[in-house]
Amino acid sequence: MRSLIFGTALAALILGQFASASAADKCEPAALATKYPSLVGKTIKVAQDPQGGPPYSFRDPENFDNLVGLDAELVRAAFACIGVPFEFKTGSWSGLLPSVIAGQADLMWSNLYYTPARAEQVDFVTYLLAATRGIVRKGNPKNVHSLDDACGVRAAAGLGTVEEAMFRGVSDKCAAAGKPPLEIVTYPDRPTGIRMLLNDRADLMMGDAGGGAYTIKLNPNDLESGYVILTDYKVGPGIGKSSPELRRAIFDAMQLLQADGTQKALMLKYGVDPELQRPVEMHTN
Amino acid sequence: MSSEFLHYLASRFLLEGAVLAIEIAVVSMVLGLVLGLGLAPLRMSRHGALRGPAWCYIWFVRGTPLLLQLVFIYDVLPAVGIKLDALTTAIIGFSLNEAAFSAEIIRGGILSVNRSQAIAAAALGMPTGLTLRRIVMPQAMRSILPGIANQAINMIKSTSIASVILVNELTFRAQQIVGQNFKFFTVFTAAALIYLAMTSCIAVGQIAAERRFDFLRERGESLFARLSAAVRLRRPRDLPGDPDRPALRREALPALIGDLCRDVAEAGERPIIVCHNVQKAYGDRQVLKSIDLTVSRGEVVAIMGPSGSGKSTLLRMINHLEPLDWGEITVDGRHVGYQRMPGGGLRPTGNLARARAEARIGMVFQHFNLFEHLTALENLIEAPIRVYGQPSELAHAIGLRLLAGVGLASHIDHLPHRLSGGQQQRVAIARALAVSPRVILFDEPTSALDPELVGEVLGVIRGLAEAGMTMIIVTHEVGFARDVADRIVFMDDGVIVEEGPPGQVLDQPKQERTRRFLRMVAHEKNEDIAA
Repeated sequence: MRSLIFGTALAALILGQFASASAADKCEPAALATKYPSLVGKTIKVAQDPQGGPPYSFRDPENFDNLVGLDAELVRAAFACIGVPFEFKTGSWSGLLPSVIAGQADLMWSNLYYTPARAEQVDFVTYLLAATRGIVRKGNPKNVHSLDDACGVRAAAGLGTVEEAMFRGVSDKCAAAGKPPLEIVTYPDRPTGIRMLLNDRADLMMGDAGGGAYTIKLNPNDLESGYVILTDYKVGPGIGKSSPELRRAIFDAMQLLQADGTQKALMLKYGVDPELQRPVEMHTN
Repeated sequence: MSSEFLHYLASRFLLEGAVLAIEIAVVSMVLGLVLGLGLAPLRMSRHGALRGPAWCYIWFVRGTPLLLQLVFIYDVLPAVGIKLDALTTAIIGFSLNEAAFSAEIIRGGILSVNRSQAIAAAALGMPTGLTLRRIVMPQAMRSILPGIANQAINMIKSTSIASVILVNELTFRAQQIVGQNFKFFTVFTAAALIYLAMTSCIAVGQIAAERRFDFLRERGESLFARLSAAVRLRRPRDLPGDPDRPALRREALPALIGDLCRDVAEAGERPIIVCHNVQKAYGDRQVLKSIDLTVSRGEVVAIMGPSGSGKSTLLRMINHLEPLDWGEITVDGRHVGYQRMPGGGLRPTGNLARARAEARIGMVFQHFNLFEHLTALENLIEAPIRVYGQPSELAHAIGLRLLAGVGLASHIDHLPHRLSGGQQQRVAIARALAVSPRVILFDEPTSALDPELVGEVLGVIRGLAEAGMTMIIVTHEVGFARDVADRIVFMDDGVIVEEGPPGQVLDQPKQERTRRFLRMVAHEKNEDIAA
């Protein structure tokens, strides 16, 4: 009898564990060893570039040692949920993905867009749709209210970004329609692009919509929003291919953070349109 | 605005980035210089097997962007199992780069030192490494230092590119703050001032180091000089030569030389120098065509002849400053730097410097070739101490006696550039004597001197002759040769035209070429007097 009770209790315990591992509806950091055994004892290295400024990752104005922003806080929330310690590895954006591919960092969580080409090198967990914003000087002197209005303007975009590619496409269309093409200039980081706009070296600057909103908030007398375009790009961390369990852990954690409203709350906090949230997806190719 | 500026200037976040930049720059600079010091001589080596790889290394490292090298070390080496952290990667990358650049700067410095310095050191039996360390590098430092300071300043500033391998240094941190608040003017100005403070330390250090290595400055002027003087005073203080030492007694040169130099006293039967069928060509030009010359112990031989007749070349072959093409030369019965092969021919031995040292052949050059960065006394004691292992005290004592012997007791602490030509040449003769030579070779010892200074040098050589020193003197001074030489050897166009006692060769020359040369020399002499 005693052994039967004990046996039932043990079975219930095991079943309970199993149930929580398969269909968890809340974070269980204490269950790390059973849920993601390969992560036990590790400190996850998270590569991030805090140069771009708000809203994704930037230095806390109160204490420069702290990273804040949507990406930084999602990292904190996700790893608190998983129950594994992490550390930020900061570096310039172009060096982050190579460091993950080389195994110098475990993942890159720094406003990275999923593309099939990138997914050949790292796995993605996406949770957000990227939107891009055209910023102009106050009063919109060139009347740019959509990309269709952009023919002939001096247009600034980050080097190698999707925005640069969009400008090139628009420029070709302008030329084909017999209008003057765009005069495209590129910048290495967003603050440089903003300086181009403020110093009248460019008429239009296009970049991430959330970042653009923050920029306008900081310079309300000089800048305003021209237009916002939703892109097809899904955003999320790129995770080294050697650790499928880490990818699964982040996937699970992000589902929970969407379910309990954490992601939307953080998006609101940092001025990113909550409507851009998308269901969590895994991409391994 | 200004308080905000100061806030960033004193920001721990930025200063930590500065410390990181310094850390990387200092460690990389030291490692890079050590590697560069090794690389520069390899790059200059006579052996292609050493020179080639050194050239390739410099070519590759200098020719590829540092940024890509860092990414390679950090992100590609893990694929072969070498996983280095960001700081280590940065230090390795910057060191390897610095090695390539500083090797070229050091090589430039070495090339800037007159080759006569190395030739003089070789004649004293100093091996290449010792020559480089003691003679060439101290003089090369003057031209090396500005380049190295440039490198150091550049490195501190360029550590910012290491942000691509996740190194969080000053510029990258400043950009992060700007990314957050867009106050680029304030933040970047603060960062620039921090850089300026760091690089100023190097600029000041450069001034101090340049003063330290400026051997043309009089010692005793700067703090550095006083410090180095204090170090030098650790030598026994009672040595004559210290400021408070007793005045030196000028000894008669012959007695002094009889005391110091080998073989001077004994007048053996065996000849000391035997040249047999010596031949030498530079390219297509045959400089020496089968020279036979024998010099006995205690004999003074004057070699005369027009320029380009091969006199100096012959001299340089006796102590193997120039290799033989054909024939053989023995000094006291032994080859210098050659050994006989079973078939009868000669082949070079490995350690030429040691062979030169063992031969104990003093050499005096037309342009003195004193070590420019060393005082008169230091010029004398360098080889005895470093090559022959003479105790420092003894070398100092002998050096002082010799300098007194050539009449320079009051100039022992002078650097060469402070001495007249005649004084420099007398120091050079004393330097040759300091290694207790068996024989001294003089290569036109008075040709570079003003006429009024010739006498003092000839006087010293005359003293050596009286002492019984074996000497071969290449000279144009007919009167002096007649006076001092036991034998005149007249050379022209790579052959010995005639030889014999001065009375015979100079007064009744048999050959037309000799007569023509003597007439020309006499004519020039008259013109000199007329002028």
